[in-house]
Amino acid sequence: MESNQNDYHISFFKPTTAQAKWNRNLAIKLILIWAVAVFGFHFLLRAIEKPTPEESYVKYEMVWENILAESASVEEMQIFAHSSLSVIGKVFIKPEYKTALNNAVSWTTFQLADSSQKELLIDKTKEFEKLKEEVTSISDPEYINAKNSLSQVASSILGLQNSDPRILIVSFSLISTEMELFKAENKDMIPTIMSTYLIHNQSFLTDFKFLGFPFHYFYSAIFLLVLFVFLCWLYCYRVDKMNVKLDIDE
Amino acid sequence: MKKFLLPIILLLTPSLLFAAGASTQLEGNFQVGPAIILITILCVFVLVGVVFRAKDTADFYAAGRSISRVGSGMAIASNWMSAASFLGMAALMYGTGYHGLAYVVGWTGGYVLLLILMAGQIRKYGKYTAADFIGDRYYSQGLRAVGAVITILISISYCVGQFGGIGLMFKWILGIDYAIAVIIGGSVVLVYTLISGMLGVTKNMQIQYVIIIVSFLIPLFILTFKFDYFWLLPQIGYGSVVSDIVSGVPITETAQMFNALGHEYAMVPSPEFAMPWDTASGQSFFQWIAIAFSLMIGTAGLPHVIQRFYVVPKARDARWSVVWGLFFISILYWSAPVYAAFGKILSANPEVGKLAKDAIVVYTAQLGNVNPLIVGLLAAGGVSAAFSTVSGLLVAGSSAFAHDLYVKIINPKASPKMQLLMARLGTILMAVIVTLLALKNWALIAQLVAVAFSLAGVTIFPLFLLGIWWSRSNKQGAIAGLIAGLSVAAISLTYFIAGKEGVTLPYHEFVNYWLGAWYFAWIGAPLAILANIIVSKLTPETPLEIRKFLVLNVHS
Repeated sequence: MESNQNDYHISFFKPTTAQAKWNRNLAIKLILIWAVAVFGFHFLLRAIEKPTPEESYVKYEMVWENILAESASVEEMQIFAHSSLSVIGKVFIKPEYKTALNNAVSWTTFQLADSSQKELLIDKTKEFEKLKEEVTSISDPEYINAKNSLSQVASSILGLQNSDPRILIVSFSLISTEMELFKAENKDMIPTIMSTYLIHNQSFLTDFKFLGFPFHYFYSAIFLLVLFVFLCWLYCYRVDKMNVKLDIDE
Repeated sequence: MKKFLLPIILLLTPSLLFAAGASTQLEGNFQVGPAIILITILCVFVLVGVVFRAKDTADFYAAGRSISRVGSGMAIASNWMSAASFLGMAALMYGTGYHGLAYVVGWTGGYVLLLILMAGQIRKYGKYTAADFIGDRYYSQGLRAVGAVITILISISYCVGQFGGIGLMFKWILGIDYAIAVIIGGSVVLVYTLISGMLGVTKNMQIQYVIIIVSFLIPLFILTFKFDYFWLLPQIGYGSVVSDIVSGVPITETAQMFNALGHEYAMVPSPEFAMPWDTASGQSFFQWIAIAFSLMIGTAGLPHVIQRFYVVPKARDARWSVVWGLFFISILYWSAPVYAAFGKILSANPEVGKLAKDAIVVYTAQLGNVNPLIVGLLAAGGVSAAFSTVSGLLVAGSSAFAHDLYVKIINPKASPKMQLLMARLGTILMAVIVTLLALKNWALIAQLVAVAFSLAGVTIFPLFLLGIWWSRSNKQGAIAGLIAGLSVAAISLTYFIAGKEGVTLPYHEFVNYWLGAWYFAWIGAPLAILANIIVSKLTPETPLEIRKFLVLNVHS
């Protein structure tokens, strides 16, 4: 690295000794591997991804026009409610979106109920709403009964199977004051909500499974860390060997 | 006295056996078992701190350079594994899915840069603090002072998230208000750091690492076993949990499995948890890349991390301590996503309600019906993680205050006693500022900590990188680079704080997106490096003695 006694210079890209060149080359190789592994992979992931809808979105798209035109069949109304519940069940959604979806589910369920069921549905929803406000523990038997009873009624109206996890959500999505009208502002929000939560960036790298993981997830969460440790080990090992070879005592 | 330490620890250990509380509520009550565990662990920390306390200034700053490679690796890991790693990463993945992995990758990938570009050279340079290096390499007392102030700012910024984590865990354990919990937790960590100094801290860090990692791993084995996944290696076994979240978990398949509140282990399909930059997460591809990059270069520029390399005997030890440190860190980072994945399913029922994301690690263990004793140990592990980092940060910050500002600039004739006093005063002052900021609760723990990384990435990283690898980089270049980096930081943080305080500045959406507070280094660091190079080229060469030192001492 030093050209002569009076001119001391260090430059990563212009090494002046064999050892410095070796060190520079090793560093460049390892950093290239590191950069390609981290950023190269993610640029690739970005390049090949395709917006892929969930099944709920595909079904929603088929029925949405008829829902808007208020000409949907019973089955189409059920599909719309199922898709709305699929979004509500996602844990993190914006409060205003949740309000719109609750309105959608409440309105659809009410529309699908026959005249005898309508009264029952409203009564049970009101009872559950009251208990939700009052009870101090979710293990209160009265509260549990009200929840299950409402879930049963709504699930049967909406045609939800016993294995469907949406039956666990439906009681909480029904709002007694939101049943008679699907508000225009909520209707306007539905396409945005559905495309935001039910379409995902997927490719063969996300669909392929490795050790149970979606491959890309395994790559970032597990493999990259292994690679980082390996690169660090390799660097230390190579530098130690070089120091022994050149008899350098640090 | 050291030989009495083990029996004391063993005497305290039985209290753990009686510490099991029987609470199934997620929060709100005083939790006796976890409280006893926490107090026991803190007592052990203080005892170890007292036994290995700093005897003089050199001890306080750099532990007498007597720490082994593996020990230093453990200390690096413990120092590093903060509340952001222990609590914050799972919180981010729980809330934003794959986006959270940018933090995992960023916080580990940076060590490759740190090792290849800096670790050995920093040790060979032979300074105690980052500001020492900057002042010396750029032959400027002014830059030394700026370096010290930046170190203090980074330490404060980093500590805010930690105090937030300590507050959350103390709140959960003691059933008290968050603000009071922050004040109590902050006071305890301050007293501990003041008593032990860095020698105690380093010894403690090795003990803390063991406590942190054991407390973090045990619940994972239990969760994977209980919910019928491959439990022998939960870090691999949870792959199926992620795939289950993507495809949904129907009720019939899992009829016999419930969370602690009695809800079925079931959920609707949620591919947004695993799919990259999903619109549902509100995070983009650019943000993923910017965060990972900023955290990586921030890692290579953090004063309290760099400072760890001064405490190993040789450059070779400094390098190998990074390998060990990264391996120990990775054990936790492979594990954190497991909590996020289980947390997602176990909290899927609307009855669980809105959980504080930063405490999802503890809530997940609770919802998974893990024994309250073990949940208590987990919470205490979270506190330990925050403690180990905070103590290292307070030492780095107070070193900058006492060593770089007071002794080197204000009072060069200060006696060792006075230096130690100033270090301790600096520690107290920093702890007070951090407590006040932590009470603001501006963002998630990991995000607050990421601010410190970006700050380090735009200031210290460029100075070290060019300072070590390009002798042409001079004082003027360093000043220009700092101005460029700090300008980007100032713009970003002004918009961030203004937004949090309800003030809307012009172009706030544009600035908040492209110069987000947790990733502004993606552009700030390249700008700082560019400014440094251009100005260095246009101004007189670095003095001969510094170039000579670099050639003969640092790169020989």
